[in-house]
Amino acid sequence: MPRTVLSHTADTGIDATAPTLGELIEELATGMFELVAGPAETEPSRAVEATVEGGEPADLVVDALSELLYLSEVEDVVFGVVDVVETNDGVGITAGGMPSGEVDVVGPPIKAVTYHGLVVEATSEGWHGRVYFDV
Amino acid sequence: MSAEAGGVELVRKSDVVWELPVSGDMRVPGRIFASGRLIDAITQDRAADQVANVAHLPGIVEASFAMPDIHWGYGFPIGGVAATRVADGVVSPGGVGFDICCGVRLLASKFTEEDFAGNRDQVMAELDRRIPRGIGKGAIAPRAILKDVLRRGAAAAVAAGYGWDADLERCEERGTSDGAEVDAMTDRALTRGGDQLGSLGAGNHFLEVQAVDRVLDPTAARVFGLEEGMVVVMIHCGSRGLGHQTCTDQLKLMGNAMNRYGIAVPDRQLASVPVTSTEGRSYLAAMAASANFAWANRHILAHEAREAFARAFGIAPRSTGMDLVYDVAHNLAKLETHDLDGVATELCVHRKGATRAFGPGHADLPDDVRQVGQPVLIPGSMGTASWVLRGVAANPAFASAAHGAGRVMSRKKAKAHSSGSEVRRALEDAGIAVRPGSVKLLSEEAPYAYKDVDEVADVCERAGLAARVARLRPLGVVKG
Repeated sequence: MPRTVLSHTADTGIDATAPTLGELIEELATGMFELVAGPAETEPSRAVEATVEGGEPADLVVDALSELLYLSEVEDVVFGVVDVVETNDGVGITAGGMPSGEVDVVGPPIKAVTYHGLVVEATSEGWHGRVYFDV
Repeated sequence: MSAEAGGVELVRKSDVVWELPVSGDMRVPGRIFASGRLIDAITQDRAADQVANVAHLPGIVEASFAMPDIHWGYGFPIGGVAATRVADGVVSPGGVGFDICCGVRLLASKFTEEDFAGNRDQVMAELDRRIPRGIGKGAIAPRAILKDVLRRGAAAAVAAGYGWDADLERCEERGTSDGAEVDAMTDRALTRGGDQLGSLGAGNHFLEVQAVDRVLDPTAARVFGLEEGMVVVMIHCGSRGLGHQTCTDQLKLMGNAMNRYGIAVPDRQLASVPVTSTEGRSYLAAMAASANFAWANRHILAHEAREAFARAFGIAPRSTGMDLVYDVAHNLAKLETHDLDGVATELCVHRKGATRAFGPGHADLPDDVRQVGQPVLIPGSMGTASWVLRGVAANPAFASAAHGAGRVMSRKKAKAHSSGSEVRRALEDAGIAVRPGSVKLLSEEAPYAYKDVDEVADVCERAGLAARVARLRPLGVVKG
């Protein structure tokens, strides 16, 4: 599934496509953490679960990514694997990763998910999303 | 003469003022302070579009301003200033940013450049050991003082044994933002930031040992406590995860409330509500509490820097002469009274990557500083200068000035330009000691990724935003 890092003067972002909204969130979330620690190369040693209630698809994407950032910081884990299941109420998330002290950092920590230039849209092939992050 | 940025026409109004004429639903024009060379850099990204977007905010007065270090941000441009009428205008978290009350603190010292050279390795080793930075790397202060910090800011840090009473006189707002309410914070914000009090973070945040390279205004420098050859310490950081979460939570609330107030904005990151609304008051109360965290955070890091120098030189911290020159925010919305068409008007002044710059005589300045104007701190990038300026009378942008050099190159391009190791080597070849949290991250913050800070400071002066006092040169850098 194609995923690209967006160029931005001060911050950064991810553009991705996926067959379903849940998989789009997986792509964007994985891309978000790869900006910090690169692709996961080892099996996760820590895992968390979360649920995020739905709304408009764009809101669901921002809320799900924001939840993962929150969990990453309070649990001190950089996630390398993110699984998202769409539910009637929103999404269920299972994320696995490594303690931040054990990852090889390649980019600055992400402070937040922004609404700037946010694109979440259904396409003929599934879903397309573009999200900028504050770093 | 004109320039074009993303289809937006900029009209040159003077040597250093460019205007975006009102078009569409803009309520005021945009006004960018820049030289011809800086405008060439500014028009390379979408910052000018964002200046135009900000001009749509309800209640905005006079213009959507941009400082000489403006660059593309999210919602507001970084370097954006917008004043809205409190009576019928809006407050926007996008005009403050996620890193609420991010700012800069400058400490003087009794040390000369030669003194530092003789103890450089010891000082840098102590700073390296004592300054928490990077991702998930702890904090100096205990969570037990968090709620007091949220209520009282730097005063709570002093009460807990960090810093000195006299420091508070040299902090913007004496280091305590009025109107802070812990109850306006979410539990998530308290959880996220509770264990980060006294930490630098990463990205463009730093602690830098510098030398006063050149004094241009001896009178103001004397008042600020600076002289040529003096070693100083500059700290740049903010409210950490607590502020980031507060902005995230408040943006969601405001996004939901905007329809109720009939407010439409061209970028969702500009979500806003009336200043006087329940949501507006709640945001300002949570923002003030987050600001208090930031004031205290810089205070605690400054305490640790004093301890580091004291240990390295084998003297007591009080003997280091590391008095506070000033601490100033560059990400805040503040209720201030300004003259508007001859009428004193209460305004909500958003400064997103812009520094408050009160001129001489302003009642809110400390007694000694009041005679010359507020210190304005403009950090450069690693390897280039930083500047101390002072506020001047008749500032044309609601008493605001630049906050840094301003990025000119994306992080992606900066990383492709050189590796972190190459940047480190170049800095060390230039005589600058570097203690990075991660060597790889140095390339994103390399000097070539930023505008010429000397030109930014010069344009500030030519535009009447602030006057140059002293140029600072880096000697040692501690990065996240």
